[in-house]
Amino acid sequence: MEGNDPLNVIVTGVGGQGNVLISQLMGRALVRAGYHVTIGETYGASQRGGPVMSHLRISRQAQYGPLIPQGQADVILGLEPVETLRVLGQYGNPGVTAITNSRPVYPLAVAIGTAHYPSVEEIVKALEELCSRAWLINATDVALDLGAPILANIVMVGALVGAGVLPLAAQEFELELQKSLPPDRLNLNLKAFRRGLAEAKAR
Amino acid sequence: MANDYQGGGREQEMSLEVKGCRELQSEVLARDLCSLCGACVGMCPYLVAYRGRVVALDECNLPQGRCYVFCPRTSLDLDLLSHTVFGVAYAADELGTVQEIAMARARDEGIRSKAQFGGTVTALASFALDQGLIDSAVLTASDENTLPSGTLADNTAQIRACAGSNFVAAPTLAAFNRESGRDVQRIGVVATPCQTLALANMRASPLENRNNVDKLKLVIGLFCTWALRYEDFARFLADKLPLRQIVRFDIPPPPANIFQVFTDSTRIDIPLDQVRPFIRPACDVCIDMTAEFADISVGAAEGVQGWNTLIIRSNAGRELVEAARAKGVIETAPLPEQNLAHLKEASLLKKRRGLKKVIEITGSDQDLLYLKLTSEAVKGFLS
Amino acid sequence: MTSITAYEPGASQLLMGNEAIARGALEAGLGFACAYPGTPSSEIIGSLAEVAREMDIYVEWSVNEKVALEAAAAASFAGVRAIVAMKQNGLNVASDFLMTLNLTGTNAGLVLVLCDDPAALSSTNEQDSRLIAKWADLPLLEPATFQEAKDMTKWAFELSEEIKNVCLIRSVTRVSHARGDVRLGEPMPPSRAARFAPTTLGQFTPMFVPPKHSLLHQKLNKAREIFESSPFNWYTGPEKPELLIVTCGSGWYYSLEAVKTLGLESSVGILKLGTTWPLPEKLVQQHLARTDKVLVVEEVDPFLEGNLKELVGDTFSALGPLTFYGKRSGHLPSFGELDPDRVVGAVSSVLGRERVAVDPDYAKKAQALTGGLVQARMIGFCPGCPHRATLWSVKNALKLDGRGGFVTGDIGCYTMGLGPTGFFQLKTVQAMGSGTGLACGFGKLGKLGFSQPVLAVCGDSTFFHAAIPALINGVYNQSNFTLIILDNSATAMTGFQPHPGTGASALGEPAPKVDLEGLCGSLGVRVEVADPFDLQDTTHKLLDLIQDDGGVRVLISRRKCALVRAREEKAAYKVRVDSEKCLGESCGCARLCTRVFQCPGLVWDSDSQTARIDEVICSGCGVCADICPASAIIREVA
Repeated sequence: MEGNDPLNVIVTGVGGQGNVLISQLMGRALVRAGYHVTIGETYGASQRGGPVMSHLRISRQAQYGPLIPQGQADVILGLEPVETLRVLGQYGNPGVTAITNSRPVYPLAVAIGTAHYPSVEEIVKALEELCSRAWLINATDVALDLGAPILANIVMVGALVGAGVLPLAAQEFELELQKSLPPDRLNLNLKAFRRGLAEAKAR
Repeated sequence: MANDYQGGGREQEMSLEVKGCRELQSEVLARDLCSLCGACVGMCPYLVAYRGRVVALDECNLPQGRCYVFCPRTSLDLDLLSHTVFGVAYAADELGTVQEIAMARARDEGIRSKAQFGGTVTALASFALDQGLIDSAVLTASDENTLPSGTLADNTAQIRACAGSNFVAAPTLAAFNRESGRDVQRIGVVATPCQTLALANMRASPLENRNNVDKLKLVIGLFCTWALRYEDFARFLADKLPLRQIVRFDIPPPPANIFQVFTDSTRIDIPLDQVRPFIRPACDVCIDMTAEFADISVGAAEGVQGWNTLIIRSNAGRELVEAARAKGVIETAPLPEQNLAHLKEASLLKKRRGLKKVIEITGSDQDLLYLKLTSEAVKGFLS
Repeated sequence: MTSITAYEPGASQLLMGNEAIARGALEAGLGFACAYPGTPSSEIIGSLAEVAREMDIYVEWSVNEKVALEAAAAASFAGVRAIVAMKQNGLNVASDFLMTLNLTGTNAGLVLVLCDDPAALSSTNEQDSRLIAKWADLPLLEPATFQEAKDMTKWAFELSEEIKNVCLIRSVTRVSHARGDVRLGEPMPPSRAARFAPTTLGQFTPMFVPPKHSLLHQKLNKAREIFESSPFNWYTGPEKPELLIVTCGSGWYYSLEAVKTLGLESSVGILKLGTTWPLPEKLVQQHLARTDKVLVVEEVDPFLEGNLKELVGDTFSALGPLTFYGKRSGHLPSFGELDPDRVVGAVSSVLGRERVAVDPDYAKKAQALTGGLVQARMIGFCPGCPHRATLWSVKNALKLDGRGGFVTGDIGCYTMGLGPTGFFQLKTVQAMGSGTGLACGFGKLGKLGFSQPVLAVCGDSTFFHAAIPALINGVYNQSNFTLIILDNSATAMTGFQPHPGTGASALGEPAPKVDLEGLCGSLGVRVEVADPFDLQDTTHKLLDLIQDDGGVRVLISRRKCALVRAREEKAAYKVRVDSEKCLGESCGCARLCTRVFQCPGLVWDSDSQTARIDEVICSGCGVCADICPASAIIREVA
């Protein structure tokens, strides 16, 4: 496996974005491919509008604990831009790769007008200066194009796999989708995944 | 009809303070100075009137609001208001701006039979509506549990239904606030002194949103010595009889010292001293007995059964009275000398009591709480 | 959730810790499972419920943890292997039964899984449930890996039958809710010869207590002997380490990673204990003899640390001087959650090694670029949540009433009513049902000068769990308060499990539905029902109830949870803002909808200075249309 062992991946977003689902899908695919995978998550009260982080530890050699130490993320997959920044602040390092969705989910403080949401420029600047590689993917737009905003999470996995930062081949993930999803949802999810792959290839 | 409401006093130096809901709560509501005039209510979802109290349902965070400006207990610049309403300086005398003072009563027996005294208010309000001088009137009516509130009348039957004195404070101006935006153009209001002051504040307000106060064409003021708190007083009465049986109240002139409660069949006399504890604390700091900022002010004619005392203050008021008299809607008579003397005495007494209470609260005769009066005026009232 | 019966021989399965525990129970021939939902334990019985039909076993959501343990004990008495799972607070509820069950003993294996929530991520307290093992004299196992979560659970049934007593398994959030790859074994069918047949007098009672107490200690000693050679205890590291880390549970991976991060594999050894009560004393002493410095890494309290010191106190002459580090010495915090960085910090501090920090230049740059941009996300009620609407009416009714009334709170999503999302209405919150209990007390303070209206809120599930006795107490002792039952047809916060009021069982089959109005009405109290989305009616009813002083009154505020509704029906309304009518910041509005009501579906657009609806987030409940003073929010039937 290229890269570090363990490979530390953080999937971050806001409760309700399907963060937990894609962590599981990726995790299962990686286990089938012969890796040890540990996923740590935050559940419960934090879901009601709060941030959700999944820590994935991927290793050929051993099982690791469910929490990535500070500053040791290798890859950050962000379903929401500010959440990506939040994670970068705590777990980033000069070698980190960040792939983030561009569509904001406004925190309540912003929605009610007591706080400001950072501009796209500020977000891009932070990503460029703090990451060795950083991509902004319009995953929600792609998902809306496919008819359901919730598919943005699968689009993002596509981008991640397409970027080659995960030791997972596209077919391996598609196999997992086939095994995990009911037939009536499979097609749309495959489309979303492939669109994500295409987004990554296009860069 | 000539309109006295020119200029709005805006060319004058603005001495109406402009703050917001938070300050209204801390300066007036929290200090129990609220007279329940209703001027702050009915404009927004934050302030509502409920069973004799103004309640803030949430925190409004605006630094400036109509509620604070309109309130007659936040900042009362009597000179500014006098210029605004009458175009003259504040006289600081016993009865305020007076063009003429007389006795009056309605000609219509029907009105007089339902009236507290002479039925003058009902007659003049109905007349103004009939003649199209106003197209709607804000008055006060009570529900079956004696809870009074403001109501909008657009026909004379509705005006007549509001006849009779009300001794419980009512947030009448909430009805003006709610209804002034509707499809009415010339509004008349029957108001207590604190309510007439609030309406004057509204006219003098520097804020852009003035609640359509330009539609206000007639203010009939009512003499008032004090008003009662609804919740406690209603509970007190409910102990004596079912509230829904009550038809009206009355306080006969001294030396009777009783408060009368009338049902269809009986009358209950309550010693006035038992009722006084229910007077709103805000009334203790009031210095206006005769509604000095109305077009006309009406009260009882002391010792003259079935007649009102009538004070004409503005041109608009005079024109209304003369037209009503000419049409035979009201009749007038000279006010006896001793009545005038007693009226002045009573009014001055209220001013003295009010000022003394204010100074007692602030601890200094330099700080008059919400009142903006010259020290000569204060000296004049207190001497 | 993964199906825990999916089995590919030879392949590993990615399982949540809780799923691994459930799988372990299936591999032990489990027949009976009960629980009340409680984070982080809910998925244990939840995943068993999903496969209950397939495996033909019995699984139930019990009304509370005490009944759950009692029901499972019955299965054990009758020869059926049973498992119960609960969070730390659930243990408190079940403890009365447990403290006689331990003396009673069991028949078929009975495993009690306790899931603690360090840092109270989803709880109202921090609690170390392991102390019950010492208190109740019961054996305790702590899984440190996902494989252990499965293997230990399977073995726990054998241990339980070996000593004829309950076996405790203690997990924490970072084991229960994390996922890892697990090698599975074969599930076993349960015994189907259930029969209750005591063979001696008082066999299934704690009588007589003193001799049964002695027997209890004997059972514990037997467990201790078995633990001496347990494969769940292991040592890794040099023969004579400079520092010995003794750890258990979640501490294992953190310790392992800390040693690796610091590069101290040749000077730090780790004793990982899976059997933490009773301590396998000989084994522990053997390892303690390796060194003179011991760092104990565990969550939540210094339980293991204290027990090691007790052991050393008894045997110190044989061991030589030892210095202990851990929570008591302050090297690890005595509150909050462990993480790998804290353990790294503790080890480097004990050994005087320089800490491997995050690259300081990077850290500074990261702070500068992201620090100001990222704010905390407040949690709050979902768009369309009926609790927001109910508490809006509560706020208004209490303000109108004007006598300083307040709300005593309880456990559920509505606990968030402590904060701005519920307009700060809840003023107390402790344990399940305690809102009603507190109200009973407040409602009797009248003769001592108290004159404030008291409102207790509790959810439908909470009501069945614990509030009923408190309500009856209020009626019997004539306390003066109003109970608002927030009936959203769900145990929402923990994952929408059914309860006696929802009409469905753990298996999703139809179940008798308890009639809330009938139940409360049978107590002879005034019961009203309101739809919280009808703000005017709910406020009016609340005011009426609040002012109807003199005894207990009940308001059932009934409206389905927004998330449950979203799965079953489409949105009721399409909502939009007419920006021409929107008053925004002007006097008369002051942004009531976005600033005060704060539904996430309402967004303040500072460019246009008006509110607008976020169509992706809005749930279409339409309640905000009734809040707007300008009638600028328009709802149209969808």
